[in-house]
Amino acid sequence: MFYFRGCGRWVAASFTKQQFPLARLSSDSAAPRTPHFDVIVIGGGHAGTEAATAAARCGSRTLLLTHRVDTIGQMSCNPSFGGIGKGHLMREVDALDGLCSRICDQSGVHYKVLNRRKGPAVWGLRAQIDRKLYKQNMQKEILNTPLLTVQEGAVEDLILTEPEPEHIGKCRVSGVVLVDGSTVYAESVILTTGTFLRGMIVIGLETHPAGRLGDQPSIGLAQTLEKLGFVVGRLKTGTPPRIAKESINFSILNKHTPDNPSIPFSFTNETVWIKPEDQLPCYLTHTNPKVDEIVLKNLHLNSHVKETTRGPRYCPSIESKVLRFPNRLHQVWLEPEGMDSDLIYPQGLSMTLPAELQEKMITCIRGLEKAKVIQPDGVLLLLPRMECNGAISSHHNLPLPGYGVQYDYLDPRQITPSLETHLVQRLFFAGQINGTTGYEEAAAQGVIAGINASLRVSRKPPFVVSRTEGYIGVLIDDLTTLGTSEPYRMFTSRVEFRLSLRPDNADSRLTLRGYKDAGCVSQQRYERACWMKSSLEEGISVLKSIEFSSSKWKNLIPEASISTSRSLPVRALDVLKYEEVDMDSLAKAVPEPLKKYTKCRELAERLKIEATYESVLFHQLQEIKEVQQDEALQLPKDLDYLTIRDVSLSHEVREKLHFSRPQTIGAASRIPGVTPAAIINLLRFVKTTQRRQAAMNESSKTDQYLCDADRLQEREL
Amino acid sequence: MENEGLKTSPRCNLHCPVPSSVLSSVPYSYCQPRCARTLKIWSHVARGTTFRYTYLHSASRSLSPLHQPMEARIFRLWAGRILRLCTRRSSGAPAPGSGATIFALSSGQGRCGIAVIRTSGPASGHALRILTAPRDLPPARHASLRLLSDPRSGEPLDRALVLWFPGPQSFTGEDCVEFHVHGGPAVVSGVLQALGSVPGLRPAEAGEFTRRAFANGKLNLTEVEGLADLIHAETEAQRRQALRQLDGELGHLCRGWAETLTKALAHVEAYIDFGEDDNLEEGVLEQADIEVRALEVALGAHLRDARRGQRLRSGAHVVVTGPPNAGKSSLVNLLSRKPVSIVSPEPGTTRDVLETPVDLAGFPVLLSDTAGLREGVGPVEQEGVRRARESCNFLATVVASVGAQSPSDSSQRLLLVLNKSDLLSPEGPGPGPDLPPHLLLSCLTGEGLDGFLEALRKELAAVCGDPSTDPPLLTRARHQHHLQGCLDALGHYKQSKDLALAAEALRVARGHLTRLTGGGGTEEILDIIFRDFCVGK
Repeated sequence: MFYFRGCGRWVAASFTKQQFPLARLSSDSAAPRTPHFDVIVIGGGHAGTEAATAAARCGSRTLLLTHRVDTIGQMSCNPSFGGIGKGHLMREVDALDGLCSRICDQSGVHYKVLNRRKGPAVWGLRAQIDRKLYKQNMQKEILNTPLLTVQEGAVEDLILTEPEPEHIGKCRVSGVVLVDGSTVYAESVILTTGTFLRGMIVIGLETHPAGRLGDQPSIGLAQTLEKLGFVVGRLKTGTPPRIAKESINFSILNKHTPDNPSIPFSFTNETVWIKPEDQLPCYLTHTNPKVDEIVLKNLHLNSHVKETTRGPRYCPSIESKVLRFPNRLHQVWLEPEGMDSDLIYPQGLSMTLPAELQEKMITCIRGLEKAKVIQPDGVLLLLPRMECNGAISSHHNLPLPGYGVQYDYLDPRQITPSLETHLVQRLFFAGQINGTTGYEEAAAQGVIAGINASLRVSRKPPFVVSRTEGYIGVLIDDLTTLGTSEPYRMFTSRVEFRLSLRPDNADSRLTLRGYKDAGCVSQQRYERACWMKSSLEEGISVLKSIEFSSSKWKNLIPEASISTSRSLPVRALDVLKYEEVDMDSLAKAVPEPLKKYTKCRELAERLKIEATYESVLFHQLQEIKEVQQDEALQLPKDLDYLTIRDVSLSHEVREKLHFSRPQTIGAASRIPGVTPAAIINLLRFVKTTQRRQAAMNESSKTDQYLCDADRLQEREL
Repeated sequence: MENEGLKTSPRCNLHCPVPSSVLSSVPYSYCQPRCARTLKIWSHVARGTTFRYTYLHSASRSLSPLHQPMEARIFRLWAGRILRLCTRRSSGAPAPGSGATIFALSSGQGRCGIAVIRTSGPASGHALRILTAPRDLPPARHASLRLLSDPRSGEPLDRALVLWFPGPQSFTGEDCVEFHVHGGPAVVSGVLQALGSVPGLRPAEAGEFTRRAFANGKLNLTEVEGLADLIHAETEAQRRQALRQLDGELGHLCRGWAETLTKALAHVEAYIDFGEDDNLEEGVLEQADIEVRALEVALGAHLRDARRGQRLRSGAHVVVTGPPNAGKSSLVNLLSRKPVSIVSPEPGTTRDVLETPVDLAGFPVLLSDTAGLREGVGPVEQEGVRRARESCNFLATVVASVGAQSPSDSSQRLLLVLNKSDLLSPEGPGPGPDLPPHLLLSCLTGEGLDGFLEALRKELAAVCGDPSTDPPLLTRARHQHHLQGCLDALGHYKQSKDLALAAEALRVARGHLTRLTGGGGTEEILDIIFRDFCVGK
């Protein structure tokens, strides 16, 4: 587990007392007392790992600070990745050369594409993941990433200095203070602390603070953030108890097998690490009225459900399902936790009842009559009190019930689309801290934060994904302009341009930009994306150029239901739109020049998808252009909406703009309550500013000229 | 409500190359107390709760003269940054002129001599050619007389002056056309509807012409100043108008349709986002299909029933009917201000239906005088009575003029007028205790005429739309455009085998309806999904 490579360094907890022996060695400046990095990432979860590796890929010397190195890559909730909407995010993370998709291709135990019959724009790549393998592979990847250093340690506080004058924010972060009092300096800091900010675990009526080893390190950080003026909210989530595999009677349950062949998450992989026949099945069972009865009888013992903290509507505990939809059977998916794991994750059974009632309820369910509730690895670090007692590390089979977590999140309207905070310069937030839920949402923000933290250090313009470019853009735009009052999860229904932003074309949308604008994409991936893009374009234009009468097409491809009533010639692209036609049948009919496009399976499939959506995409492209025009109109970042007198705005609108600080006219127009009149006023303001700038440019040119003249004189002297 | 338009509409076409900068006129540095060497550490003493603030250097909070050289340096640095930003932006400015072609009535609302209708956008020339077929485009920027006809029916609309302004030398910078038509509501409405039927054209949103002009750099700063007020006024008017419509029958219908459609869409979206993980009830899609089909039928029926529009173009039909000798012909003559019918004190003078076109309170009206309704007279008068009854069956407004008898049963819009009020004795009993709401009038003295005209105007407004508060004309074009768009999209829903495509068709359809009713955010859909289904892990 120790990887010492030329470029990847791992500083283990045991020798952190000596303060970064390797880091100091590597810095060629005059040996500073305290270590200095370009980017520090706090937290080793799904956002943190992506952020750290993305920053490192962009060329920044990066430090990943985490409580424990052996929890990096921990899947703390469900043992699965992807799904509908989430699979789209993973494809986009992969297009930016992020980690999670590649790791999932090496760690899955059950790969299945959801929504297969509903159209390729909404296919949901999903897999059950082996927790242990994922963690191992992730740690291997992290510890082998050039320019990335990992250190164990809990962060107590931020080091703040005076702000840079050319940016907004009342101060600038320049490093962190660790719990042992030591300091680490950095140009940018990314906070990905997940649910650790004042995390609280709830089981029945009991609550436990969820920090580490008896103290509350993240409370110090939470207080700092609050003191700085960040608006904090509270959310809740939950997780089900785990069940011993051998205690379940699978023979009477509904078995679900994985896809054959498996579709990999990453664009760089042709296939996944495991054959379909070696993969594990999932099982389906249902709740029954007895479950409802136990829930309703014991509501008084359940503080999590009663409280007002907002939980997600789309990830409800079994208690809230029973309360909101009584007299119904609810699904329970029994999912494997890993190849050699003896645990089963009962998806759909997250609950916070007192422990003894949980088991009683579970044994009412068909197939689970003899089920045993088991302590899983995954929640170890969330239970400080028990860990404190030293009970958990030694007793692996201690029963552990499902539980709820309540935690602080920071209102995401306080961050920019590059995920930097408005208040503190060079401080970035990513992941659950911004009010999202899910590994994929966290990973997506992590990549963007990592890239932007790095670009900020090198003084390059931020890398922002627009709503028209990707699910990542929708996610971040929704968060930063609308905020969220419940844990935010990605759905395809949130995406206006769903037909354009598909899992199959994430690379054409983002890889090229990631390579050119962010520098976070490897040369190899870039070249592959370029090849794919030009092949697709060429293929489509060839398909458009082949035209026959419909009766000729009917003869060539008799299995297609082509209507021969139309007298106009039909393009090959239109024939490809028919459900029963694919590139293979088309190439059989017209081998020249179509045969060569069937050699690459991915290319052939993508051509078929492009053909399916061709007609609609044309209209969508126009709309996208209109949105992008509004996005191109930037609002001054340092505009003080509350006091500015040049713009006539209502008080209500001022407050809304002040809080969300939209960066573009487009974003401003999406804020509820901002009227068209206000938008026009803002436009006028932008226009005026532009004029003043033009005048300013003139003067700066003169300045420049004078400077040059000075220098010339000096030289002459 | 104002905001909804922006939220759901394809956003206005703005592409002036504004630098992607962050700058107001004052460098930010001037606003901030600042000393570059100040380092403040907020150090949290381990596990304690107290904070220690350590100032490594004391900060000078005032801008003393000593700081000025530094200020100047920063200022220069900052100005250099603007320059860089400007050069970067200027290369990537998008080309103007993309997007849809819009049209609107540009002159004032209501009745006027000449009304000006404008279009702007790439399809302007095409629209002009279609409306003035078979003639070709007139010379640019020259007024030409052309016969406008409806491209759907070929029916002539008006002989009008048309002006063709190819972009960029036009008000908006895009291709523009101006139609100077005769100002009657019927003509204006006809031309607007004809434009709405040309593919690629849609009614303009509030202030859209001006925004396009602004985006294409055709307005100077002072002109832009007025724009905000204009937009405000227009959106305000639109809001009021929307409210007014929403009180009406059509608004009620639209809201109902939008609700149905939103629900159907939410169910399709739920099926897409949660169909595989969760147990949605059986038949979610089938239910959505049924609702969409019903909606399609309702929309189709509504669109085919274009009677309101027709009425305004050809004039509403007003029939004066009642018992013989009540003074119907006198009333017709009074309203048309010319002797249309022969009047005499003898009952049964009018034996046929006499029609005359008149202008009543700005509405074009076809006024019909009929034979008095009575039994047991000669065959000629009987035929007249039959024709009178028949015309009442399909006519819009009936002015029943009765002496003192009760009116006959009728489902038409009915205005009950009691004539010869001059014969009522001032202190005597009224014309009968059980009469429904009625008006008193004397054709002889003209007493009660104003009240009667006002009541008639209200009736006509209800039938035709009120030209003085207009938008209705424009609104009608908007309504028709969006309802047709909605119906077309629903057709695509049925055809789509790919569920993502089908959902897209519903999204487009809903977009059209919510343009009329407001609303239309994604959150609305999610609300329905989570209300109707138990979804999630």
